Amino acid sequence: MTENVQIKERKSRRFNLSQSMILILLIVLLSIIATVVNPNFIRFTNLINILQQIAVLGIVASGVGMLLVSGEIDISVGSQVSLMGVILAMTIQKMLGLPEGNVAQWRQTLAIPFAVFITFAVGFVLGLINGITVIKSKAHSFIITLGFMLAYKGVALLTTGGASYMLFGTFETLGRGRVLHFIPIPVLFLIGIILVTHIILKYFRYGRFLYAVGDNRKAAYVSGINTNRITVTAYIVVGLLDALAALILISRVGSALATTGDPYALDALAAVIVGGVSILGGKGNALSIFLGVVLIGLIGNALIIMNVNPYVRDVVIGLIIIIAVSIGQFSTQK
Amino acid sequence: MELVLQAIDINKTYPGVKALDSFDFELIKGEVQALVGQNGAGKSTFIEIIAGSLRPDSGKIIIEGKEFEYLEPFQSIELGIQTVHQETQLVNELSVAENIYLFDIPVNRWGLVDYQLCKERASSLLEELGIDIDPDLKVEKLTFIEKKLVSIAKAFSRKAEILILDEPTASLDEKGKEILFDVIRRGTKRGLSVIYISHNLGEIFEISSRVTVLKDGKKVGTHETSKISMNTIVSEMIGKKATTIYVRDKHGKWIDEQNKLEVVDYSQAGVVENVTFSVSRGEIFGLGGLVGSGRTELARMIFGLDEKDSGRLIYCGKDITPKSPYDAIQKGIGYLTEDRKEDGLLLERPILENVSLVRLAKSNRFFLNLLQEKIETKEMSDKIQIKTPSIENIVLTLSGGNQQKVILAKWLFAGAEILIFDEPTVGIDVGAKGEIYRMIEQLASEGKVIIMISSDNPELITMCDRVGIMRNGKLVTILENENINEENILRYSMGVIEEEVQK
Repeated sequence: MTENVQIKERKSRRFNLSQSMILILLIVLLSIIATVVNPNFIRFTNLINILQQIAVLGIVASGVGMLLVSGEIDISVGSQVSLMGVILAMTIQKMLGLPEGNVAQWRQTLAIPFAVFITFAVGFVLGLINGITVIKSKAHSFIITLGFMLAYKGVALLTTGGASYMLFGTFETLGRGRVLHFIPIPVLFLIGIILVTHIILKYFRYGRFLYAVGDNRKAAYVSGINTNRITVTAYIVVGLLDALAALILISRVGSALATTGDPYALDALAAVIVGGVSILGGKGNALSIFLGVVLIGLIGNALIIMNVNPYVRDVVIGLIIIIAVSIGQFSTQK
Repeated sequence: MELVLQAIDINKTYPGVKALDSFDFELIKGEVQALVGQNGAGKSTFIEIIAGSLRPDSGKIIIEGKEFEYLEPFQSIELGIQTVHQETQLVNELSVAENIYLFDIPVNRWGLVDYQLCKERASSLLEELGIDIDPDLKVEKLTFIEKKLVSIAKAFSRKAEILILDEPTASLDEKGKEILFDVIRRGTKRGLSVIYISHNLGEIFEISSRVTVLKDGKKVGTHETSKISMNTIVSEMIGKKATTIYVRDKHGKWIDEQNKLEVVDYSQAGVVENVTFSVSRGEIFGLGGLVGSGRTELARMIFGLDEKDSGRLIYCGKDITPKSPYDAIQKGIGYLTEDRKEDGLLLERPILENVSLVRLAKSNRFFLNLLQEKIETKEMSDKIQIKTPSIENIVLTLSGGNQQKVILAKWLFAGAEILIFDEPTVGIDVGAKGEIYRMIEQLASEGKVIIMISSDNPELITMCDRVGIMRNGKLVTILENENINEENILRYSMGVIEEEVQK
């Protein structure tokens, strides 16, 4: 009996290790191929470049990853980023007017802080709405957030009327600035958020409860955990991280369309699932989220640098998701 | 006398349990034969083998002169064996007629469903069976008895030679039962044979011509119902002597009658009715009864998991009625649920996280102290003797007994003073059972209040200072001292002539 237990244990250990190991190997392999094809790939500036490219994705994915650990899903994150981007740019434009016009001093001083505050406030509210609807409706969160994905997108389109809000260089530092002319600010945020995610999942009571609720919601409830509060909080965290992502994204792009954030919904899901966060909840950590994001970013960058048709990216990412999930399924059935 | 079904020397073994042991069975054309036995005696296993959903390890089944080693579900249906399960398996969205012909729906020459023909056939079938239900009605509009009758009509819609009824009268009132029996009698007149499973001995005497008693997978005997008494059946179900694997020293010296938990007037319409009892510190109070008698529902209400119409929980004179599991935990109550996998364990998380979960939920800490947590949960799991190479292993890798210990450890780690065990040894091997019993006894001796729900009657007899018996949501009696025996538990559970027992 004990022998049997040990064998099983060894098996599960080996797999957990290999889940992250496979990703690291894949990342190294891809880097080698890309370097062989085009040595520019491995240059420091390109590597920094990759990190800058995945910063927004990584921030969105951290929220989605923690939510997935708790057994819920949010596919409205892309629309959330789009909507908040539009609101952010609109607020700045309304406060500062067009570049040639004169505006009062207080407006110049308050425009950016006010717009940032509004963005986070909207992020909080969107997360709250998502979370409360999910727990009250008792429907699957995929369906609820599918509905919100369309609704938020619609609101963003209504707000812009299809046009874009330009920022005329008034809000550039966050997305384009570099610390010491060297490390892009978004990269610092990415690293910071990944670290915070790690700390929450590993050292916070809240993080432990995310795993508990994700593994077995009923058992968590019987054990005295307020499961609904955990779920709603996780959605609020997603909303706040989407707000941060919107700030960085819009700052970098310099304008906001009603669709600017849309691709992040599926990319973020793809990243965390490839990384090894279980869609059934209860499994995954900050490292898996980070590696998934890096892999997705790397595929995009490597393909461009190797001069492959960039549209191949989605095909490759799609296939990798299918393979990763199949391996995961296979291993859990054992 | 024509035999429609003959089963010879059927064996079926599950890990650690002999579900059927050289079981022989004969069913005569046109008879209603009852199958009785305690929970786990092997009734369901036999039914599943006949219905084709389970293969026996060895043995022969003879139907219509043909010999089978096992049956596939479709073969069984083709041979005319129809089962009506305890839970009705009807589609609520469809009409009565569509449900009756669900697997054999009439089609017109274009291959489309012919609703008119379907309705006509259903009407004539219902009429023939003497069931007065409009075939156009949606099933969701039907009452419970009507659904049951439709299920039976559905069984008759195909070739029906043998009808298996599994607890058909559970939650039926007297009138519903009469209608059902009427339908059964009409069927047997046309040559139908019925295997009738029920815990209600009164019914068995009313409807069956023969009765077969099962005990631990073995056939004790088949008798003509008119020539046997209820008492004989009950003693046959109990058998000679239950094998005890544990002996508890029940001198009651730990019982502290000054300090007790009082369960006052718990009710929930249709589930539990005015249940009141009290348990002293240091006492093990058992709750026996049939599955579905309301024991688990009562436990869930006490723990604040389910809604209730009324009920108060008093501990040492203070009202501690919990509003939610969180509240219950704050007040020192622990509940080890019936189904470990369903709502007991985080199966894919480490043992450590499972053990510390309730204490964490109880505390108001923000950060975890991983080092301290590891040391303390290790201490607890050593004390409970969870057998594992490391407490960082996931719970899924543990045996049933060790999984149960993890749950116990989690409640003790949170400092629970009142523990409700719901079927604590289901699916646990004999060795681990003994260990769990020893622990429960130990906890009682430390002055904890223990309520133990069990369908394993020898377990109740061995472990409990007193045993309350529930039947149809009511606490019908509380057995004490030498009155705690299998015969009493069984009789009260099944409602067999209560006056006689008291003599």
